[in-house]
Amino acid sequence: MKQKIKSSSMMIFQLVRSLHTSPVYRAAESSLLAKLRKKTGYTIANCKKALEMHNNDSEKAEAWLNDQAQAMGWAKATKLAGRKALQGLVAVKFDKNYGALVELNCETDFVAKNEKFQKMLEDATLACYKFAHTNLKSKGPITKMELDSEQLGNLSSDGGKKLSEVLALFIGSVGENAILRRAECWKANSNDVKITAYTHPAPLTAGDYSSGKYGALLAYKQPNDIEDIGKQICQHIVGCAPKKIGDKEKDKPVENSDDETCLIFQEYLLDPSYTVEEVLKKNKVEILDYVRYSCGEALEENMPGVEKQPLDTVQTLQ
Amino acid sequence: MTGRLFISCIIRNLPLNKSIKPNYSAYHRFANAYNFETRNFCTKKKPKSLEKKHCNIGTIGHVDHGKTTLTAAITKVLSKDGSSKYVSYDEIDKAPEEKARGITINAAHVGYRTKNRHYAHTDCPGHADYIRNMISGASQMDAAILVVAANDGPMPQTREHLLLAKQVGIKYILVYINKVDLVENDIVELVEIEMREMLSDFGYNGTTTPMILGSALKALNDDESEIGAPSIRKLLDTIDNYVPPIIRDLESPFLMPIDNSFTVPGRGTVVVGTIKRGIMKKNDEAELMGFGFNIKTTLSDIQIFRSSVLEAMAGDNVGVLLRGTKIRSVETGMLLCAAKSITMSNHYKAKIYFLARSEGGRKKPIFSKYSQQMFSGTWNIACRIDLEPSMEMMMPGDHGDVYLTLLEGMVMTEGQPFTIRENNVTVATGIVTETLQSIDVPNGKLGKVVLKI
Repeated sequence: MKQKIKSSSMMIFQLVRSLHTSPVYRAAESSLLAKLRKKTGYTIANCKKALEMHNNDSEKAEAWLNDQAQAMGWAKATKLAGRKALQGLVAVKFDKNYGALVELNCETDFVAKNEKFQKMLEDATLACYKFAHTNLKSKGPITKMELDSEQLGNLSSDGGKKLSEVLALFIGSVGENAILRRAECWKANSNDVKITAYTHPAPLTAGDYSSGKYGALLAYKQPNDIEDIGKQICQHIVGCAPKKIGDKEKDKPVENSDDETCLIFQEYLLDPSYTVEEVLKKNKVEILDYVRYSCGEALEENMPGVEKQPLDTVQTLQ
Repeated sequence: MTGRLFISCIIRNLPLNKSIKPNYSAYHRFANAYNFETRNFCTKKKPKSLEKKHCNIGTIGHVDHGKTTLTAAITKVLSKDGSSKYVSYDEIDKAPEEKARGITINAAHVGYRTKNRHYAHTDCPGHADYIRNMISGASQMDAAILVVAANDGPMPQTREHLLLAKQVGIKYILVYINKVDLVENDIVELVEIEMREMLSDFGYNGTTTPMILGSALKALNDDESEIGAPSIRKLLDTIDNYVPPIIRDLESPFLMPIDNSFTVPGRGTVVVGTIKRGIMKKNDEAELMGFGFNIKTTLSDIQIFRSSVLEAMAGDNVGVLLRGTKIRSVETGMLLCAAKSITMSNHYKAKIYFLARSEGGRKKPIFSKYSQQMFSGTWNIACRIDLEPSMEMMMPGDHGDVYLTLLEGMVMTEGQPFTIRENNVTVATGIVTETLQSIDVPNGKLGKVVLKI
């Protein structure tokens, strides 16, 4: 009997306690959760798990989350790996002697507009730009290094992490597949060779880094005393998408100038009354090489000419 | 802090369901009163048929949060209630890319009807895809359902989703918090708070935005618990009530594009067209505008189906006798509007989409000073296009804001669609967004116009 009273009073006590405290307690817990989530940006489920594991100690939970992020990112990346990602951006970074062109893909263009994506792309481009400064040197006027997604992932970013690790973190955060598709790293082998780049849409203020839906790298020679038209030629390449430079002796211009795919025979974009060849001649420009990326044009299976080999042996001789 | 959070949760949740209905019924009262009035005083005998109101709605959200599942669930629940056809997940997801009007429509379209309304449902696949579908008139959203999964919460790109909604002028947003069966209540609350904060950040009313909790998957599997099918019904009821029906604009001064004109011997010039907005009354002062002309006149007679009426309203096809107007001065494509209600201009701001090469568009990019023939409604005119100063060029497949300069002044209203054709091929399509101050075209040469941007 005594026990019964005791147990029932316990029950009442518990009932009252839960009535009074549990909403407040829960609110406290979820505000901790809210804070942690706002601070770290990890998914709610993970934040809650972290808090539960560390008895609501938000500092420990945050440390744990940061620890786990890499593993979770990898898990997410593996899960999403097969999904088609054809949106995204192309970015360039260059100076007179070095240039890098990188394509990063994602599933929807909403993600491509997010600042995390922009940061990821900038990191990758910077890594490629640095990679172009390696001691490799080929015989021609420029050293070109083409990278596929695997080789790109092996480059290390500013913070010392591999790009593939940074990418996994990014995938873990946005929950969408993303692929470091391809990259070009160029180095001029002599001082009279200049490198320039262009992306479309062009940035508001010209700088050495920009990103857009289309991008191109161009290597050319032009005497210093003539106004530099490298940028304009590069814009022409982005705009008119020539398939090759073309050789005046071997190639012939096609009848309909709209379908012309040889750079030298195309109408110059900024002044259609001249052909590119005439413009080059007038400004004493010699085009050595160019490469143009249009975002989403390359599918994994039909990527041309890049063989899987260790990074340090990759170089295409001009 | 914690107490405040808790209380704010209660306060935010409480008035939610109540606050919508009074407004709605108030609207109905107004509408009824209005119908009553027109029935008594309208000169027309033709009764208005009771059609179901139409509404365009769309889903936006992260790829894995269940947009398609929700859409399938909606059609399933409604098909059980007998008012729609069930469209399965696979049918929506694998909808082939449609090609219509030469423009790729990469979006799934599903139609369904509730008791009150008919809905056209768009799944919004991407920012650029949606904008170009909107510009070409293929899809529109009056309201959007933002789908967010309770286990993930808002993602970084949810901001971009809301940005699109804001950018394209979607006024009504509802939030469906999906997958609530996977997490506990306090987490759902947190998702709700985060969503309300984010909505407020983007200028939506975060406190009154309806949030419906449920599991689209359960609803799809015929689960009748609270978060299953009933959550879908609740969502649909909320849309019915929260999004006001589109009404024909009868308040604004009248506007009628002219389709045709002829002379009635002994009486004068009659112009024929469909009234776009407003109410037109006999003996109203009017202006006939277009192609640089602005002719003042009076409506001496209005006829609908050969019988004279005292007034006609938006949607009516009418013939109007104009006092003292010569047939020579009337051209198809001109506009008849209430006196001094509209100014004519030859300079407009617009959103434009240049068709990609694969859609039959241009091959080369477009620069400022691009001049071609522009077509809109029943008229066409030479037009020059200038890009925003920040844009160097536009590639085929790009969309953006541009400035239009017409050879002559024309009346164009906000949202009016147009196309640009080059050698009889459509290369661009767009909608007017803003009327700007008229600018001078020296000697009728568009190439010599100096823009003040």
